[in-house]
Amino acid sequence: MTDVDLLALHGLAVKKAGSPEAVAAVLGAEEEEIASALDAAVQDGRAAGAKGTYMVAPPGREWLEQRYPEAFADFRADPAASEAYERFERINRELLALFTDWQMVPAAGGERVPNDHSDADYDAGIVDRLGAQHERAEKVLDRFAELEGRLGVYRTRLDAAYDRALAGEHDYVSGARIDSYHTVWFELHEDLLRMLGREREEAP
Amino acid sequence: MTAVAERVVVLDGASVPSREVVGNKGRSIAWMLSLGLPVPPALCLPIEECRRFHAAGGALDEEAWRAVLSGVEDLGEKLGRGFGDPERPLLVSVRSGAAVSMPGMMDTVLNLGITDEVEEALARLSGDEAFARSTHCRFIHQFGETVLGADLAEPGEEATPDQVREAVLRDTDEGVPTDPEEQLRAVIATVFGSWSSRRAKAYRRHWGISEDGGTAVIVQAMVFGNLGEDSGTGVLFSRNPLSGDPEPYGEWLPGGQGEDVVSGTHDPLPLEALARSLPTAHERLIRAAKLLEREHGDVQDVEFTVQRKELYLLQTRSAKRSPAAAVRAAVDLAQEGAIGRPEAVCRVSAEQLASVLAPRLSEPEIAKATVLARGVPACPGVAGGRAVPDSDAACEAAGEAVLVRPTTSPEDVSGMIAAAAVVTERGGSTSHAAVVTRALGRPSVVGVGEGVSEALLNSREITVDGSAGVVYAGILPTEDVDPAQVPGLAELIEWARELSPIEVVEDAPGAVDLDAAGAALEEDAPDPEALAAALRGAAAARGSVLASPEGARAAVRAGVGRVQKLPGQPAAALLLRFAQAKCNLEEERQT
Repeated sequence: MTDVDLLALHGLAVKKAGSPEAVAAVLGAEEEEIASALDAAVQDGRAAGAKGTYMVAPPGREWLEQRYPEAFADFRADPAASEAYERFERINRELLALFTDWQMVPAAGGERVPNDHSDADYDAGIVDRLGAQHERAEKVLDRFAELEGRLGVYRTRLDAAYDRALAGEHDYVSGARIDSYHTVWFELHEDLLRMLGREREEAP
Repeated sequence: MTAVAERVVVLDGASVPSREVVGNKGRSIAWMLSLGLPVPPALCLPIEECRRFHAAGGALDEEAWRAVLSGVEDLGEKLGRGFGDPERPLLVSVRSGAAVSMPGMMDTVLNLGITDEVEEALARLSGDEAFARSTHCRFIHQFGETVLGADLAEPGEEATPDQVREAVLRDTDEGVPTDPEEQLRAVIATVFGSWSSRRAKAYRRHWGISEDGGTAVIVQAMVFGNLGEDSGTGVLFSRNPLSGDPEPYGEWLPGGQGEDVVSGTHDPLPLEALARSLPTAHERLIRAAKLLEREHGDVQDVEFTVQRKELYLLQTRSAKRSPAAAVRAAVDLAQEGAIGRPEAVCRVSAEQLASVLAPRLSEPEIAKATVLARGVPACPGVAGGRAVPDSDAACEAAGEAVLVRPTTSPEDVSGMIAAAAVVTERGGSTSHAAVVTRALGRPSVVGVGEGVSEALLNSREITVDGSAGVVYAGILPTEDVDPAQVPGLAELIEWARELSPIEVVEDAPGAVDLDAAGAALEEDAPDPEALAAALRGAAAARGSVLASPEGARAAVRAGVGRVQKLPGQPAAALLLRFAQAKCNLEEERQT
């Protein structure tokens, strides 16, 4: 059992389902290496795959849960990781509020109405907030990347999403079907929760 | 406009300088003053000064700085206060203001001029020590973050200025100045400097905006709503933004300051309370709102403060409104002669119209139905289906299922895409599930409570009302909206029909089928050239893409005479798109 097997399945779990290419992109790894690791996981019953798209099978989930404590023991024990995660959580709260403001505009009496993107100033204000949070996030991601090199890939993906949002591609703020800022952030959150063995805490 | 040593523009309404000189915000303040409206006094470092700042390698010109100090003294005199005066202190806000608003610029720092002595004076004047302390803390925090680049947790209610100062020092190795003039100079330099921030530069590069522009700086006196019984703060809408009713609608918080109303931490009173306690301020406010509405030709959202009976307008902008209010206000404004009919038709987006026309649960059905759960309404809309516990089941049911989860992780996204609606046990209106369902337009209710899933899954079929935040047992029927029941709707649809160059019909033999031609509405914006090619010479057309702005535009441009509506495509929404496309094309031809 090598680390690639663990990482490939971990990356697949973060995305739920995906091609070796997509999983490799999450991990910042070579596609071929991931493809053969995923094929091996299918052989062992830990993953299921058809037409180049793979999913984690229930035995694969259990296997991951068993392997995590040992595989990420150093990361979990490192106070720098916990400290960086606290910062991540702070940005997370701000970002989720920001995505909500992007989608639903506060109107009168505490009501919100869907953002029809007719107010360019309002949208520019949110993209500005996204930029401010992105700059905070860069610092935190650099800290994570020092502890676990592959996490640096998220910075590249978030940079790309922010860049497209800034260029006026609205969907790259919180679109669900593409690598929007929210999609990448959501995957990063899941990745960190799994590595640290924490539960997702939802905003009230 | 009066020049102080010709380096600073005093915004007094004597004239309205152009946005190229004083930026958008500066122009808006001068414009409101020129209408005779009460706005706290302000001055402006023009955009030219930003160029000079950068040409000098990031240094504020000494002469300009002297002009700022003398201008600030004048602001104080108008209010009987002094900058840094420990008896009658003047606090100011500093904002950026470019000719076009852009991300990456330093936005606002409030409460400049506060010191330990000024904090004491504020406590004395307001009779509220906690307010004075938190104002001081918020200033240090804001200065630390925006000027020094600190990344700090929000100061708690118990925090003291010394603690916040210490936290900034720990994070940045730099201190927050205690001298008001130093504070002001540093913030002005930060605003000018932010023109060259990485984010602002990236934005200009993306949009091809010239690098040799700049931003103005607005320095404005702050007014306080917490100086006793005859002070307060509030928001006024020139008409009701939820119903569209023409009566002004607002909230008033006696003794409240700044963000208190907007943040929702205090319960505001209805506007009648202001009319009773401060009738003169109330009357001026209503008159100001109507004037601003007429000048802008749109419903206004006005933030205001009353300081010792004196009304001040802080900001006005077009009000965000509910879809129903958008329809009614547009039609009313046109009927009052404030705007023309084409403008009224352009005011209502197709999404707003679709939301007004969306089928809803009927009252008698709701009365009969069993409520299984209540939670936070996260994405509006109604949908029903079989309740399923995971993404795999939702994907198998392909659009027929309601996904019910304790909470959601990325692996649930595929299930949310496949589901008709989503319910989660935990999480609020800003949870990942809420964000994803809104991005997908799936009705959702979140935070129905731990363990509630079981009852939903046991019920087998459920209906989710994402507007009300309720989950019902069974699949409830929906009913179409009767245009006569929505004020303004019948008129708006009629006007769109008159303006639309394209007729919408049930059946158009020989119509070009855009879906079949490979130009169906997809995730990506449709390609205008491909649409133009497909529509060339067509007398009639049909297709999902025609409901999009790009599709409507291509059809109007190609001179299509008739469009056959697809099942589920409301004729009213198509007519609105075509009328808007026609207006936009005419506008572009004129410019």
